[in-house]
Amino acid sequence: MTTPATPKPLLVIKDLSVSLEGARRSTKVAPVPVLRSVNLAVEPGTWTAIVGPNGAGKTTLLRACANLLGRRDNISGTIALMGVPLGSWAAKDLAVMMAWLGTADAFSDGDLSALTAWDVVALGRLPHQRWWPALAPLTPADEGVIQAVMMQTHTWQLRAKPLMQMSSGERQRVHIARALAVKAKMVLMDEPLLNLDPPHQAEWIQLVRSMAASGQAVVSVLHELNAALYADKVVVLVGGRITCSGAVSDEKTRAAITDAFSNRIEIRQLDGHWVALPRL
Amino acid sequence: MKTTSAAALLFFASVMVCLIGLLVGGGNFQWPWVAGQDAVTATIIGEIRAPRSVGAWAAGSLLGLAGAVAQGIFRNPLADPYLLGSSSGAALAVALCLSAAGWLGADVAGAAFWGGLLAVGLSGAAFAGALLAVLLTVALAGGVAQGTRLLLGGVVVGVVLGALTSFLVFLAPNVLLNMQGFMLGSTALLNWSAVLRMTAIGAVCVLIAMSLAKPLDALQLGERTARSLGVPLGRINMAFIVLLAIVTGTAVAHTGLIAFVGLAAPHVVRAWLPCQHRALLLLSSLTGGLLLLTADVIARWIFAPVELPVGLLTALIGGGYLLWRMRRVGL
Amino acid sequence: MQGHLQWLVGLAMSLVLGASQAATISLRGDDGVLLTLDKPATRVVTLLPSLAEVVCDLGACQRLVGVDRYTNWPPQTAAVPVVGGGLDPQLEAIFRVKPDLIVMAPSSRVIARLRDLGLPVLALEPKRMGDLKRTYSVIGQALGIATADQQFQALQNGLKGVRAAVVKEWLGKRVYFEVSDELYAAAPDSFVGETLTALGFENAIENGFGPFPKVNPEWVLRAQPDALIVAEGTQKGLASRPGWSGMRAVRAGRVCAMSQTEADALVRPGPRLIAGARWLVNCINEMPPPAGSE
Repeated sequence: MTTPATPKPLLVIKDLSVSLEGARRSTKVAPVPVLRSVNLAVEPGTWTAIVGPNGAGKTTLLRACANLLGRRDNISGTIALMGVPLGSWAAKDLAVMMAWLGTADAFSDGDLSALTAWDVVALGRLPHQRWWPALAPLTPADEGVIQAVMMQTHTWQLRAKPLMQMSSGERQRVHIARALAVKAKMVLMDEPLLNLDPPHQAEWIQLVRSMAASGQAVVSVLHELNAALYADKVVVLVGGRITCSGAVSDEKTRAAITDAFSNRIEIRQLDGHWVALPRL
Repeated sequence: MKTTSAAALLFFASVMVCLIGLLVGGGNFQWPWVAGQDAVTATIIGEIRAPRSVGAWAAGSLLGLAGAVAQGIFRNPLADPYLLGSSSGAALAVALCLSAAGWLGADVAGAAFWGGLLAVGLSGAAFAGALLAVLLTVALAGGVAQGTRLLLGGVVVGVVLGALTSFLVFLAPNVLLNMQGFMLGSTALLNWSAVLRMTAIGAVCVLIAMSLAKPLDALQLGERTARSLGVPLGRINMAFIVLLAIVTGTAVAHTGLIAFVGLAAPHVVRAWLPCQHRALLLLSSLTGGLLLLTADVIARWIFAPVELPVGLLTALIGGGYLLWRMRRVGL
Repeated sequence: MQGHLQWLVGLAMSLVLGASQAATISLRGDDGVLLTLDKPATRVVTLLPSLAEVVCDLGACQRLVGVDRYTNWPPQTAAVPVVGGGLDPQLEAIFRVKPDLIVMAPSSRVIARLRDLGLPVLALEPKRMGDLKRTYSVIGQALGIATADQQFQALQNGLKGVRAAVVKEWLGKRVYFEVSDELYAAAPDSFVGETLTALGFENAIENGFGPFPKVNPEWVLRAQPDALIVAEGTQKGLASRPGWSGMRAVRAGRVCAMSQTEADALVRPGPRLIAGARWLVNCINEMPPPAGSE
């Protein structure tokens, strides 16, 4: 039952089934679906965490939300952003609405570019820049956003350092800053806490909560259950199907989470927070 | 160091080397004021050495740009201008042109037509062949969207066209020497109209590439992230691939295959002045020009009057610098 | 009477003048391009060894001011400056010797560049006997040597003379001529093939695969040539070629081994063909002819 206070969902996924191009073994055998009949709604001002065991399809789901699946992937069902199907959105408009942070973004050792932290975060302003004249330079407003976002992620002091010379944790924070710089209505992050140590993980959780409070929608795929349990809504994905989605305070949700991890975890409350402990 | 100072420095160095190039060659080191006194020397300096030196710089700058573009779109440090099959396409087209002229021009009258066509035709054929090979690669890869498929397609096209060329040479062995002579990189036959063509195309392409530099930077973050930032990946790839084909085709048509300039120039720039693509594209182009120009001048000076193959020197200079740099950085 | 005399003198003078005007030489090269010279060439650059040999055979060796690096005969050419190769001539060097005629093979790009620089280029590449005849004629015209055609005829006659020296039993026998040890043989429609035919031998290779086809060694074995003509270096390796130890010619030692000079003389279309032919015939005459072969 929706109450008048609940805002209209930003992103609505109906009956989404996805099978990936690479999953087809031969033309005779039907391709293995990665997502089956997924239904999901994302409201603005909320933080949704997607959890599930390895191979459940979490990254695929996130990519589907961001319209970043491959051209050849088989997609059935609908995904609508603000009522308009994702496929109908112009790339530039979509880029302003949605920011993406993927796991493959971490720079490899063979990286060539000499992009500094500032350069990377500045690329987050690309969706807002005009194309002609040949990509107008950054406005003072842009630079203000970049600085603010870098201070929030404690990367401002790294701004002149090339990415190649940074530790993986520093790089991860720079990428997070880049995703924030877009100032999009919806921010999608895949494994954002990789390489981050506990203090920075805590900072990230605070950051996301404040983003949700200011009206942005955040969807994150998280392996770190303890962080996920801080989210407004948890979506449990097992074998390509959503087994449950709801607040952590709901008994059903917690049962679904422990079930998804084969009952090898226990969810307990500690000082008013929920924590997940391995069941030995 | 800022980009503009770096560019100015490279340009100035190129001018200096070019001037040295005017004084060098054929075993005689001559001061330019001698030129006024002797018609033969004046012609040598003005009509042979000058277009050759400036042409070497122009061809090198085309290759430097192409190398930076290739390494940018494929995010691969080993990428060079020829990786989409353009070199094999050019070679095949030249071989076809030569053998057709051989078969059809067997009698003297027919040879007149082909003789005239050949002079323009070989360069034109090489250019067309390079472009068609890239087109074939794109078709094979099913579009420009995926980098890996393009690379693979380029390898396949290179191998297949190379085999076809070998077959053609087998059928008409007299073609072999001429074709190899064309494809073996050489700056010796550059004239002023070649210089004009290469410079014009180079200038236009550098400007276009620089205007598309920001999306190329975004691409370094990964294809998905670039897409999420609104970069029209398909169109950007297409634009850069077309640019790559034209620039490489132009260079090959005039100087044959000169390896290593396209590969080394961006690395030299990066080793010296890490920068984003807008600067990298321009500086790679200027570095490539300086590299080939220097190689050309040394090639005709060091064992004068014998000329070394210019490709040998580009490998020595470019490779040597990078080796030295790697040791300094402690890699 | 005065008027008539003046008219006659005038006519005579114009005839003389006209005759010297008509001394411009028109030459058509193998690429079909017409080259016009005001007078016979006196400073000649050749960029093909056979062309240098022809020029020297016509007695104009002293007019050579530049040769390519592969020219190695006659010995006088060693004193002539080298100006690069046929495909990669050094433009500066050529320019410096101020030639009034450059003769080279029709390699299009280089010719275009040379003509671009205003140099007079004649494209000639003798590949067959017929080409050689034309080469003699055209070069003779270019150098103003009226006896060029006779010089070529002398070569033909010389060849006939060498044929007359062939031992009777060897006439009509089959020979295999190998140009390079990677099994490139000479077919009848190559220059050396024509020489072999003119000397009265049958060629083990047939026409139809180009002048220098790469042959299957098995094929040669089956053809069972009566004599083998190969380069010096490959003579030892013949028996070790698969199956060739069984070849009659190999077993009986009917192999003529050519030094580089002899090979050049025979293969290169030029005046040395007589010397080469003579060496070949001497070599064959010394070998016992095959007994009762088909």
